[in-house]
Amino acid sequence: MAVTATVLFVLFTVVTTNKNTTSNNLNTKVGDQNVTYNFMENYTTTQPTEFDSTSPTPSSSSTEEPVQPTVPAKPLPASGRLLTPVTNVDSVCPCDKHKDVCDINCCCDRVCSEEVALFPSCSVDKISGKKMLCSRHVASYSLGSTMDGYSELQSSVRKETNYDIFCIQSQNRVDGLSHPSPALPTDSSFDSLFKELTSFIFGSEETSGQVSSAELQASSGYQYGDVMMTAGERGMFMLPAAAVTADCIDNSPAAFLKDQSSGCSRHVILEQDCGALPALSMDTYTNIQIFAGKNKDAELEVVPVEVASVVLQSVDGTQTELKISGGGNVNPVLLNPSLCAHVVLKVVYMMKYNPAGEIVNVSVSLLLGFVREGELSLEQKFHITFVQEDGEEVAVHYSGNPGYVVGLPLVSGTRIAEGFARSMDPRDTLSLLHSAEDQDCLQGTHQRSPVLFALDSVSGCTLRLEDTANCSLVFQLLLDVLRGPNHAQYVASFGNSPLDSPIDWVPIKNNFNPGEAHICSIPLSLHLEIEWIKYGSLVNPQAQIVSITEVIQTNTTRLDVLSGSSSTLSIMSSVAFIPVSSTALPGYRATPTINGKLPFDFFFPFV
Amino acid sequence: MSLPMAFYDVYSHPALIRYKTSVCSKATLFLAVVLCLTYISPLLVAYRSQGFWLKRSTYEEQPVVRFQYQTLLVAATNTQGDYVAWSTFPHLNNMLGANLRIPAVSVREEDQNQDGKLDFLNFQLQLPLKPEEQVYSVQLLLTFSYKLFRMSTVVMQSLAYVQHSSSVPGAKLFISGDLRLLQRTPLPHRGLYNIYNVSVIDGSSPFASAYDLDNIIRSYQDRNLTTMLSCPMPVWTVGRAAGSPFQLNAEIRYPMEVISYRPGFWETIKYAWIQYVSVLLIFLWVFERIQRFVFQNQVLTTVPIPVGKPHLS
Repeated sequence: MAVTATVLFVLFTVVTTNKNTTSNNLNTKVGDQNVTYNFMENYTTTQPTEFDSTSPTPSSSSTEEPVQPTVPAKPLPASGRLLTPVTNVDSVCPCDKHKDVCDINCCCDRVCSEEVALFPSCSVDKISGKKMLCSRHVASYSLGSTMDGYSELQSSVRKETNYDIFCIQSQNRVDGLSHPSPALPTDSSFDSLFKELTSFIFGSEETSGQVSSAELQASSGYQYGDVMMTAGERGMFMLPAAAVTADCIDNSPAAFLKDQSSGCSRHVILEQDCGALPALSMDTYTNIQIFAGKNKDAELEVVPVEVASVVLQSVDGTQTELKISGGGNVNPVLLNPSLCAHVVLKVVYMMKYNPAGEIVNVSVSLLLGFVREGELSLEQKFHITFVQEDGEEVAVHYSGNPGYVVGLPLVSGTRIAEGFARSMDPRDTLSLLHSAEDQDCLQGTHQRSPVLFALDSVSGCTLRLEDTANCSLVFQLLLDVLRGPNHAQYVASFGNSPLDSPIDWVPIKNNFNPGEAHICSIPLSLHLEIEWIKYGSLVNPQAQIVSITEVIQTNTTRLDVLSGSSSTLSIMSSVAFIPVSSTALPGYRATPTINGKLPFDFFFPFV
Repeated sequence: MSLPMAFYDVYSHPALIRYKTSVCSKATLFLAVVLCLTYISPLLVAYRSQGFWLKRSTYEEQPVVRFQYQTLLVAATNTQGDYVAWSTFPHLNNMLGANLRIPAVSVREEDQNQDGKLDFLNFQLQLPLKPEEQVYSVQLLLTFSYKLFRMSTVVMQSLAYVQHSSSVPGAKLFISGDLRLLQRTPLPHRGLYNIYNVSVIDGSSPFASAYDLDNIIRSYQDRNLTTMLSCPMPVWTVGRAAGSPFQLNAEIRYPMEVISYRPGFWETIKYAWIQYVSVLLIFLWVFERIQRFVFQNQVLTTVPIPVGKPHLS
């Protein structure tokens, strides 16, 4: 039972004649198997008007004249004209991919009349028109075998009836079952079409002109985040940083007013690089002339980089300040084939700026040291800070205002006559032992890491039992190692506690009393227990330290028993932050008379 | 022997009886209690049995995904940590200097079922290598434009990240996976949701920190809505011939996604209403029986007045 689909005839907008009648009704569809081709239109360049009226099925399929657009602008030459669809099934052969050459297993290839005998099967055995039509033409190709075993082609074109109740009896809508023909690009429409059709393409990325937005601004000074210009060949003030890997990328610029610290690694081969690699030499970081502002047209003054200090680090890590006379530089020297001296390890820039956005003064501090052959990579650290022109060189860092901020160091101090004293360096505070590679508690210089608010941490070192011969000396040494060189007595309860108000400082409680001397007693662990509360309003609570306790554990049994047979002891230092604030409770100023007990989401979508 | 007379119901009709009482009586109180129990208890029953208010629902949609043609590739070329890298970002390429290695890339996106939505990305990359170089690890970032339309309109830029490393140098890495949507919170049921329509990698930045993979992944994972390349079986082919490039072939499908959303007011009400009424019907039936028993048997004193007998005499 066929339902005739009668679709309104829609006039083509640019019809030149009334010749476009019911049109191409064949449909291309890749079948489930690759042997069946349902196909609709085959644009062929060789025979554009191939089928004319030789089609065996003239009732439902006829041709459509190529529609010439009547837009005023002529189509671009390269676009040409659209090809005529070929719609009769017997003239279409999708597997015919070589002109005038027989394609293997392609039974519909007309030049294959001889070679068909060699084919085992047909790669395309069925070509049919549109599936939705109630009757369609199907060209089928199959191989039979002759008496002597060779294949022989059996091809037929027949009419197939579709018994679907929703098949289309006749189709008079021109573009109902085919893609609309695209608008031919013209000179005037090309750009808009290109933009519309190619939203994402290769090569659409931004061009390299990175300071275009900055140049638009009228002010001559730098703005926040601007790249700073230098007079040299590089043009920009660079601060090496790591990007996609940990390797140093030298071409990364520094941004104005963005304090930045970066560490990156550099692979060096000493014989080649020691004297030659510019990144190792301090000249690279000191011999820079920075434009004070970004406006290149005006005569800008150029600010040279001043060397504030050069510190030499020896092989074993001790640091001495180097006096440079007459502005001379220290260049890397290859002392012996496996040791390169005076290599830049750390660069700290300090830039002074004025409110006009101009750089007033640039100073650099350098740390030079040694590189050994065989080390994996050289690590370099770079740091840049911006300070106001008339400001102090080093501002006092708060660790929160007022409450402590998670991740900032605790503020510690010592009691003096008129209040408290604290170090200007925010990292010079209550600190923990930092685990080092040689692990020995009594040897070497110990790195320390500051105690950061709300971060519980643990670290440690090992003690060899043979070092504990002089018990009282080891006791004192270990205590110094665990507590650090500057042992603080007070900790500020807020991140910005003033130095002259004693109530804002919390003493470090200590429950440690050296035990009796009948066995060798040494501290095995130092544990800082810091209790803090949330203070103030519920929406913006401020962290306040209320008490801090230093717990030092000593051994109560003999050391050799404690260590078992390993002859080493592990000495731990740890810190724990314990929130002791009572949980916030919702409350009413006056007790309401009705205590509604409905669950909180009972009226969920309404309230 | 007498046959019993055969009787049958030839006709029946219900008779209405009105029970009258004064306002201040036990019957009035009883009626009030019954009404409350009938209409409020179903609400409590429906709520206490969980799921009364629909808070999360799902729908299915195939997203509209386009590859944005932004790529970042890092390959380690020896075990000491030397690497080559390439990206479609000119600033990064300039910064890479000697480590820049431009590969040959070909990309094809395909609409396999002709429904107007792309289903499949075929990404092929050939990385030329110097004779002394071998590829030990590959990190690849691809960015996509991701759109959903059915409930709320979601427009975002998303990321697919591939990382593979091996102790044996490879000739080829083949990746075939799905670009899956990950949701931390349900989407709203309507409106435009475009807060993540921002570049995953800021290609206009001249600073190295913008291309730091840590920073890129950290800020990307901060999102509530992300995509992830789900590729459980990457294939690392070893045995590269001298002079041949390292090949990276990725086939990424854009599958149908089940997306959870927060239902709107009327959808929530509709589901609650269905539950309420279905429980209410039981209570109405039960309390109707109770009331009939109470009034028919005069448990509470009322005045029954049968009606519907206009011709009494």
